[in-house]
Amino acid sequence: MTAKSMTTGDSPGPAWSCICLVVVLFAASAAAAEAPHATRLTGIARAADGRPDLSGIWQVISTADFDLEPHSTRKDAPPGAGVIEGDSIPYLPSAMKQRQANFAARDKLDPRLQCFTLGVPRDNYYPEPFQILQRPRDLTLIYEFGNSVRTIHTNGTLHPAGDNPEFWLGDSRGSWEGDTLVVDVTDFTDKTWLDRAGNFHSDALHVIERWTPLDRDHLEYRATLEDPKVFTRPWTLSVILYRLKDKNIQLIENYCYTLDYDRYYPFPGEGLPSGAP
Amino acid sequence: MTNIDRDRIMTPRTWPMISVVAALLAVTQAGAQMRWSPTVVVDPEGPWTGRRLADHQPDVQGVWSNDIANHDNFTDPQGGIPGDPSKGLHVANGAVDRPVKPRSERAPSRVSDPADGEVPFQPWARAKQQEFLANFFNPTKQEYIEPGAHCAPAGVPKSLYWHGYEIRQYPGIVLFLFNGGTRIIYLDSRPHLPSTIKLWNADSRGHWEGNTLVVDVSNNNAKARFGRTGEFASENVHVVEHYTFAAGHYTYKAVFTDPYVYTRPFTVTIPAHRITESTPQDGWHNEQEWANQPPGKPPLYENYERVCVENNHGHGAVVASGKPAENTAPVSTK
Repeated sequence: MTAKSMTTGDSPGPAWSCICLVVVLFAASAAAAEAPHATRLTGIARAADGRPDLSGIWQVISTADFDLEPHSTRKDAPPGAGVIEGDSIPYLPSAMKQRQANFAARDKLDPRLQCFTLGVPRDNYYPEPFQILQRPRDLTLIYEFGNSVRTIHTNGTLHPAGDNPEFWLGDSRGSWEGDTLVVDVTDFTDKTWLDRAGNFHSDALHVIERWTPLDRDHLEYRATLEDPKVFTRPWTLSVILYRLKDKNIQLIENYCYTLDYDRYYPFPGEGLPSGAP
Repeated sequence: MTNIDRDRIMTPRTWPMISVVAALLAVTQAGAQMRWSPTVVVDPEGPWTGRRLADHQPDVQGVWSNDIANHDNFTDPQGGIPGDPSKGLHVANGAVDRPVKPRSERAPSRVSDPADGEVPFQPWARAKQQEFLANFFNPTKQEYIEPGAHCAPAGVPKSLYWHGYEIRQYPGIVLFLFNGGTRIIYLDSRPHLPSTIKLWNADSRGHWEGNTLVVDVSNNNAKARFGRTGEFASENVHVVEHYTFAAGHYTYKAVFTDPYVYTRPFTVTIPAHRITESTPQDGWHNEQEWANQPPGKPPLYENYERVCVENNHGHGAVVASGKPAENTAPVSTK
């Protein structure tokens, strides 16, 4: 499929790219005309069970983590057109005040600054890679930032019953709708933010994610957030995830929360007087 | 400070402290039955006869936990922490039968070579290890607090005797999900990371030889300790691990080489057993929760997310001055 060629970096000329774009757009509109369950994408990686294979190391090229909403440049953020359908987050009036207070103190209050688990959906558009490892029964997402580990269960199990616990990454149960992985995420803590600009949620957050391959090296990530304590209605963000293809690419552990004390643990031989090894 | 705090820093989700205490009591009671084995079972290396994955790896997925003891004491695993003012009775010490049995009835050292069971430290390094141990129960400097009390990853090899852990496998990858920290072991022939990059859980490259996963480990930041007894390596340490699997059991044998710290290479042996759906939850070996299965489906365990620093900045990270070891400021030490 042409879309695959588009991403190989084989120096296509402008006209070539333009043709490809038209083809892709045509394919996309044709696919949209079909029922979602009938959609079967071509030119994407597939696992042995026939499902799309989302395995790989992915990262956004986006300013989403700086501010989900459209914003001009400022000292602590490059400009960005925003990643929200409808541009703005529909806050309740009381929540808007909290958001403004968060924004004013963002250089101190952003949980990222303590290397706390970023949460869902933020971990997926934070500008650091994450790795998806896929089995039929689940997907494991390892986020380099803080080495957070998330499991999306695709084995038919349900959210925890009864007196639900709270999770920094929520509780994720997924299923496939055609070639889209749809993940229902619940049981959140209220401790995480949505970006560096102080956008936030409560423990009533409910996220529905849709992960759809565009071709072998691109995923569309959509997340619909509802939280009646904070938002007036559900709203949706979307970003594109890019496969990292650098030679020998791997995650490099980033236990950033150790940086404030790892100086206490030098190799014990450091600073020994001469004569020591 | 007590070690109650120290032993349960890695709590799933945001457990209130009362739950931690309750769990510890449950653990203590469970320990009266069969918690640890005094015997080291060594699985022989050989062909793999069990199930294989699509890429022909032996399928060893699931939850595992070591047979012998926790991380209190590296070379006398069931001996408790030397100098323990509670004489082996402190709650954290899940590794000790009470009263402590004679040495000959306790599990042997994790150091299986040399024969004396001791890490072959150079004299200066032995002195450093002893200094850590002597200050463990009354830490007057940050360096005497085990890094795990701050939520640091347990590192190599301590992760293997710090609670149960899960192995997941993928084409070309073996993934270890520990209570504290993660190791991604690549099975292809890619080179190690540049040597200037140092990591808590080091950098791992593996391959299968029959029933044995052989892993070459480098890029260790040397900040983790091997146990509360303070054994350590340098950043130059090179480890070759052999994970030899049998049905329901495996043996870890690893050779540690570090001319900067030791007088000769030494071998660490750690036996481990599989956790199944018939294994009771005990807060140590099996920390899983029951999945919420639809009606008619069989019982199934699953692991919840692990966070630590988010809960408490590592409660237990307190020097003798009583001041908490906050993330943002150095703690005054006596």
